[in-house]
Amino acid sequence: MFYLRLARGYRVSDLGRWLLTTLAAGLVAAFLLRSLGRAMSDPHGGADPLVRLLWCLPPLVAVAWFAAVAARSVPARRPARIAGLTAAGAGSGRIRALIAGEVALACTLGSVLTLLLFLVLRNDIAGPSLAPDLGMGVPLPAAAPVTLLALVPLTSGIAAACAVPHPAAMPGARVHDRTGFAAWRIALPVGLVVIGAALELIALRPGAAEDGRPIHLPAGLGSTSTAALGGWAASALGLALLTGPLLGWTGRLLALGRPTPLRLLAGRGLTAQARRLGPPLAVLTLVLAVVLTTIRYWIGTPDSADALPAVEACLVLGCAAAAVVARLAEVRTDRRAVTGALLRLGTSPRLLVGAVALRTLAVGTTLLLTGGATAALAAAGLR
Amino acid sequence: MPAAPPDNDVLWARGIVKSHDGTPALRGISIGVREGEVLAVTGPRGSGKSTLLGCLSAQLPVDEGEVWFNSAPVHTLGRTGRERLRRDRFGFVGSEPHLVPELTARENVALPLLLAGAGHKAAYTAAGEWLERLDVGDAARHRPDRLVQSQRQRIAVARALAPLPPVVFADDPTAPLHREAADQVLRILTSAARSHQLTLVLATHDPELVRFADRAVALVDGRLTAPAAPVPRGAAAPGTAGASAVTATRR
Repeated sequence: MFYLRLARGYRVSDLGRWLLTTLAAGLVAAFLLRSLGRAMSDPHGGADPLVRLLWCLPPLVAVAWFAAVAARSVPARRPARIAGLTAAGAGSGRIRALIAGEVALACTLGSVLTLLLFLVLRNDIAGPSLAPDLGMGVPLPAAAPVTLLALVPLTSGIAAACAVPHPAAMPGARVHDRTGFAAWRIALPVGLVVIGAALELIALRPGAAEDGRPIHLPAGLGSTSTAALGGWAASALGLALLTGPLLGWTGRLLALGRPTPLRLLAGRGLTAQARRLGPPLAVLTLVLAVVLTTIRYWIGTPDSADALPAVEACLVLGCAAAAVVARLAEVRTDRRAVTGALLRLGTSPRLLVGAVALRTLAVGTTLLLTGGATAALAAAGLR
Repeated sequence: MPAAPPDNDVLWARGIVKSHDGTPALRGISIGVREGEVLAVTGPRGSGKSTLLGCLSAQLPVDEGEVWFNSAPVHTLGRTGRERLRRDRFGFVGSEPHLVPELTARENVALPLLLAGAGHKAAYTAAGEWLERLDVGDAARHRPDRLVQSQRQRIAVARALAPLPPVVFADDPTAPLHREAADQVLRILTSAARSHQLTLVLATHDPELVRFADRAVALVDGRLTAPAAPVPRGAAAPGTAGASAVTATRR
């Protein structure tokens, strides 16, 4: 009932978040139910059921990631709601639980809708092509779908609750972002990138053809060698972790020397926000690099494309992009006071827009570099 | 067309009416601010002080009435014109420092000068000098989040004074400060205004601080209650003592 009342006060961005969470959760539920249906149709499928369940993992993680980032943005974007709840006697723990409950509710709604569709389709409506996916003709044990479908709201809800920091769930509390990165936060990713690149070089050395390619990749990507896969994984992780520090350095570079107000505001702003913008942008870049490399491989190799990975890629990409949008909205709301102060000083909005454009250009260039490197390493490993 | 405002009034408003989403804030205020004077606007919370300062400083458009600055209408200006006026002619200190968090204290103070087109070196030198004058020279290289509130507020005052604008608006600038720091900040504000012939419009809820002003008007529920009552200049004369401390030349 409480959530219904809350929903009445929702604006487009909140409704969009709800709708997207519901839709994504519904799709993940569809993946889970499909693996269940397959397992029911073919109880002696060997290792396949596990692989099919593993296929559900990336979308599940993607939905949880989006839920976490979106939940993290709620206290900053809706301070009035937090203040109201606190005035009504809710502590920071309960506020976190309420935010998590909202996410879980949206996920449950999506899952239940998918389950209904699944049950309706099982009722002899679907054609024979879908029969093995739905486990038609086999009695459905009630516990199985319920267990599987509880997974989505549970993971998303827990992720959302963990994402909201305790101090942020109190009204008027400003979570001060520390700028700059600890030494290990730079050393670790640099080390990973170096090790990954070295492994990749070993895999690509002239005599590497005799090594064999023992690892079979999913999504019709053929097979690859251990060194190539390990090297790519290490360097991709390193590049993703390095995105935040790189953004900070890009900001410093922008404001280097004797900066004009435009460069000063753009550069310093980017350095200050690098810690917050880094993770969602890194995830989006990584996902984009993987998806684009896969598409390139599919185009180059006939009959390798697959429908299921394509749908999954769309879902993961959508969640990663939505997480970036949520984080941008959070940063923007957080900076409303600063923007107001700058405008009061007589800063022209054109200058502020220019600073944002310059910042976007710098971020785009940095991400193009990290994403390009990730994609190039992946493409090299696939060859 | 109305009659032109009096010549010696640098700011002049007649019958300004302003409401925030239907809640009336100002109900017909006429006020004149003479060049070089320190005018205090007193009144309790919610009496419309901030709105009046917002209207006079070209931040808020008025619903009705007129605002003139140096015999030029402000109420007819578009957004760009108001921005230019705020940037080139007005300084503003609010009750919160509202500094740009990612810039150092010196960059914060230099920012309005840079925005007005001053050279890099000139802007940073002036910023450093003003920070010294406000006793926050040590904080020049620190970002606001590493400073205490009184230091941040002084930086905000330095930011408003550094370009030496003809008119400085101070909207309850001492709200976040302790008594002692508040007195010092106000003394520096008023002495800087007097030594550079700046006009200072000071809104405050504290009737005691009126002693820093040449003249005071009281605001209650969006109306001026008392006519501009002159404060005897010799009563406290905080400016005369501190004026020599502030010796920057006007650009």
